[in-house]
Amino acid sequence: MLSFLPFLLLGTFVTRVASSSDYHERLLLRPLPHGNLLASFNFLSNESQTAFEQQNFRYLPRSFGQILQHAHAKELHLRFSVGRWDAESWGQRPWNGAREGGTGVELWAWVEADNEEEAFARWLTLTNALSGLFCASMNFIDATKTIRPVMSFVPEGHHGNVSNLHLLHGTLPHEVVCTENLTPFLKLLPCKGKAGVSSLLDGHKLFDASFQTMAIDVRPVCESDGTDCAVEMEQTVDMVLDIARSKRPRDNPIPRPLPIEEIECDTSKGYNGHDTCYPLNKGTEPAWTLEEVFGRPLKGACPLTDENGDAANTVCINAPPERTIEANTTGQFVETKLAYDTMRCYKLPEGADFDLVLPEQQMTTGLVRLDPPLFAARTINGHGQERGSTQSVIRNPSTVQAIEIVYLESLPWFMKPYLHTLRAHLDTTDESPITETYYRPAIDRKRGTHLELRMIIPPSSTLTVTYDFEKAILRYTEYPPDANRGFDAAPAVIRVLSPSIGDSKGMYIRTTSLLLPLPTPDFSMPYNVIILTSTVMALGFGNIFNLLVRRFVGADEVPASQGGLKGVLLGKLNRLRALFGKA
Amino acid sequence: MALLSSILALRRDARLLKIPPYLSAFCIVVGVVWLLILPLNEYSRRTYVSENALLPGQVHTYFTGSEHDVFRAYRHEVHGLIDRSVEERSKAFESIFLEQNLKVATQKYNYTFGNHSITNENVYAILQGPRADATEAIVLIGAWKNMDGEINNSGVALVLTLARYFKRWSLWSKDIIFLISADSTIGPQAWVDAYHNGHDETQVESLKIKSGALQGAVAVDYPAGPWGHRYDKLHVVYDGVNGQLPNLDLFNTAVQIAGGQMGIDCVIQRMFTHDDSYKERLLTMLRGMISQGAGHATGPHSSFIPYHVDAITLVTVGDGWHDEMSLGRTVESLFRSLNNLLEHLHQSFFFYLLLHSKRFVSIGTYLPSAMLIAVNFSITAMALWVKSGRPDTSPSNPASTKPPIKAWNDEKKRFIGVKEPVTQDKPTSSKETPNSTDTEVVKDGNAISIVPKSATKITERPLLTPVLILLGIHALGLAPLYYFNYWDTDFLYGIFLTGANISTLMPIVLAFVFYWGPETPISQQKITLIQCFSLLLLGMFLAALATLNFSLSFLIGVLTTPLSFVRKSKSAALTWLQLVILAVLNPIMVAQWSCKLLGLDVAEVLRLAATGWHVWGMWTQVVVWLVWAPAWVMGAMVVAGGLFD
Repeated sequence: MLSFLPFLLLGTFVTRVASSSDYHERLLLRPLPHGNLLASFNFLSNESQTAFEQQNFRYLPRSFGQILQHAHAKELHLRFSVGRWDAESWGQRPWNGAREGGTGVELWAWVEADNEEEAFARWLTLTNALSGLFCASMNFIDATKTIRPVMSFVPEGHHGNVSNLHLLHGTLPHEVVCTENLTPFLKLLPCKGKAGVSSLLDGHKLFDASFQTMAIDVRPVCESDGTDCAVEMEQTVDMVLDIARSKRPRDNPIPRPLPIEEIECDTSKGYNGHDTCYPLNKGTEPAWTLEEVFGRPLKGACPLTDENGDAANTVCINAPPERTIEANTTGQFVETKLAYDTMRCYKLPEGADFDLVLPEQQMTTGLVRLDPPLFAARTINGHGQERGSTQSVIRNPSTVQAIEIVYLESLPWFMKPYLHTLRAHLDTTDESPITETYYRPAIDRKRGTHLELRMIIPPSSTLTVTYDFEKAILRYTEYPPDANRGFDAAPAVIRVLSPSIGDSKGMYIRTTSLLLPLPTPDFSMPYNVIILTSTVMALGFGNIFNLLVRRFVGADEVPASQGGLKGVLLGKLNRLRALFGKA
Repeated sequence: MALLSSILALRRDARLLKIPPYLSAFCIVVGVVWLLILPLNEYSRRTYVSENALLPGQVHTYFTGSEHDVFRAYRHEVHGLIDRSVEERSKAFESIFLEQNLKVATQKYNYTFGNHSITNENVYAILQGPRADATEAIVLIGAWKNMDGEINNSGVALVLTLARYFKRWSLWSKDIIFLISADSTIGPQAWVDAYHNGHDETQVESLKIKSGALQGAVAVDYPAGPWGHRYDKLHVVYDGVNGQLPNLDLFNTAVQIAGGQMGIDCVIQRMFTHDDSYKERLLTMLRGMISQGAGHATGPHSSFIPYHVDAITLVTVGDGWHDEMSLGRTVESLFRSLNNLLEHLHQSFFFYLLLHSKRFVSIGTYLPSAMLIAVNFSITAMALWVKSGRPDTSPSNPASTKPPIKAWNDEKKRFIGVKEPVTQDKPTSSKETPNSTDTEVVKDGNAISIVPKSATKITERPLLTPVLILLGIHALGLAPLYYFNYWDTDFLYGIFLTGANISTLMPIVLAFVFYWGPETPISQQKITLIQCFSLLLLGMFLAALATLNFSLSFLIGVLTTPLSFVRKSKSAALTWLQLVILAVLNPIMVAQWSCKLLGLDVAEVLRLAATGWHVWGMWTQVVVWLVWAPAWVMGAMVVAGGLFD
């Protein structure tokens, strides 16, 4: 295992690149254990504050910029996520978790407004506009799903006057992120997925990933003296691909059993024979190329990026030096080795396809992997229709450093926690780890619960936070069509306060979302009642209506329909007919 | 007015009290016949899959080819672990799961009750659905030992092979948990309790890793050795603890996939040959009812059902031509169906009786039978209440409607005069009961009438003593409940024999005590009230139980029917006859002879019951000792009173 020095260097390296020019993009590849590959795409577009205010958009997309201006959003963070990060085997999260969101959609923004009502109105404008732009149901982020976090988030940008900024935060844990969200995301890029690293982003592979998150972050960036401000928009895509799965061709994606000849058997087993094979783990790094795992070739550099310097190195791979990597292109490319050769960066050729080829290789050194500062898991305990309890287990793996965190829960109103049952328990000491609590209780159908806890976890300790809750019974029209699936509760957000990593983004960890089964009526029953009452109503109404409207007269009182000869003749004819009918 | 007053007058008619026994008997007969006609085509239905998302058997299964070679290797691996210690076994499973890149954890448990403890270890692995968000999970169970105590060699190997195979698919929308439990009933219970945090941490270790809400569980039981065994049919086991059942959709999906897609016949309730005749259907239903009524765990799936996780076990039976891969493909197809589920299984029935793998009766059709049996007790209880309110000194008909009817018989043409029947016709009808001629004048506003004294006499019902005796005898039921569950398991049979003796003699002793007790002898009215309350409680309990565990309610109802009819009798022969009948239907004696009939060992059943109480949370014994036994004791006590008169 390599020391984490090269990894830290990488972090500073990327941020340094970030602030020198107007448009940058970078793809960072990092092989993960068990044949996985982390691909982090990062796109930075800057627009000077004055140009932004005059709607003179160059790299910043106009559609997005205008929404921000209209909603008075000074800083915005939008996340689309699917899957979960497996910290046990993959280690530290990309960007220290600062560029990822909980399952589904997460949005938080600092909105400029004079009071809370105005801020909320502008927030609704923002969510509705973004909903249209990204084809996501963000318009469903209403008051019940909006909270105003106190400790969990701090602005990343430089804001002159922060007094009239309001932070609003909303989540949609049940939102399924898919291709229709990727397309508008790509359209915001200057090269729109046609050239540069974004040409690798393909919906089929992105949404087949084991973990993927798309992020948009807009913030004002100023010089240290507060002048020369710019609006910076950062778009990030992180995905963890299962190499074996991604390499399957699109026309034959079924993982049929391999022919027995292609499976390596453990011949040391006594029973090994022509029809018995204990599969052997080769323990080698799998072979892959960019085109294989992303399903499409990398179409050269985006012409808008810098041609020289660090910023020109748009594809980097963070692998041990012994790993064989070959670049395959017809054009000109430049390879740069950084951070003790653990980082290899490539300046892409313009107008020519570029590919990296990594053969299958038996490795002697481990992969570049940094241990995460925390492990967190959250589950629902108990069963039944009435009550339940939530349990979060947060473990500090460090043997020397205590960790200070802020734990944020945003619960839907129909999940009613009992705060008196809140227990934060450390396995090493009896002291309460909670130093500060912020709690805003829910109001039925108006707003959700908002709970923030500031806690300290001593070294090598495990913190267990539990609380009981009651499940509300909804009105039958409030149930979604798939009522028996249960309701999603948003992931908890954990912000690591200390040890601080020294950049403005901070360090975050999110748990998985929860599925909350609520008491559900048998929906066939209301429908049966509706059908039955409708039938009774129809019968009753029909009869009464008949009685009211129809005029009853005796048969002999009916005037002859037609007078004169014709009428008489017709009458005779009818009589005759009746006679014959009887006979 | 005339009609109303005649009905009111009828209320006091002694003949009215003659009706309830017949009504009770009628309810019982209809209840039993109702059950017997259920297997007919007209009263049962063909099963069908109600949840559209399941699409059973609509996917192509690919579990073949080299997977078979891998399966054979795993089967050898598992076979090699048979004589190893629990730790070594767990280590081996852990390493196999780890090679497959799954998250693995173990769970130790140690249940101690009586004088013995059950210690073992579960191993489980979680396949995280590639795009899933840890909100839902389905479970595949391979118990190390099956219900018969055989090593589930091929079953566990199949779970391992399927884990490796499932890992390659990217379509899983839910996590899949592979559980290798140490045995078929206690291990899964420990695991599922800990999964829902409903466990006692001194006995069961908490789970280190968890996933989302469990949506379904399938267990495979295939105890073929390392050289395999071709089976003939799949035995689908579906009974849960306390007679709870999985959603019928899961069962139907399994049957449809096995039968329709794989061509494997499915059987239920150990009816391995089933020709779908009335007799076979009835037998299947009765076996199902006995299993449901007993409420014990019938396989690894049973423990999941109380947590509202639908689960079944697939057991291979017989000699045939189906091999392990067809079982693997059945499980694969079943998991693909479960994976399709958008909502928790809820569409189909949770209350049903199965007559055949493709025929069932739903709750609406069968429930009246148990309810009628329960109602028979309530009817008798009401009759006894009315009876207890009458003066027991003059049991014959005092007055009321008999005379007017007589009068009406005499003069058929004119039917009037129900208005003042009592005064008019009194003398003609009171030959047998001369003392009822005592009359008094009753005034109500302007209306004045002369009525016999016995009609206006108020009979007080002393309620305290009967209620106390009732509660006392019900509380006595706690003693056997405690002894049968907390005493050393080796002595359970001894307790059983002692219990049999005590319970047989207890009613006689109680009757004797009440006869010679401080308030001697206890009045006939109080005896009637005791029996009334006892039957009332029994009827209420059984009616409530019928909605929870139909079979248990029905079986207890049928076995307690004599309690509606037994009365204190002056004839010694009749008293002894009633006592003998009741002795045979004593709960302990029922346990004895039913074990003999079913070919079970009583001591083993008692041990299993104690395990059920401690591990599975089974409450069959609560019903037996706190509902059935007290009712029986009181019934027998009432009869035994006749011995001392």
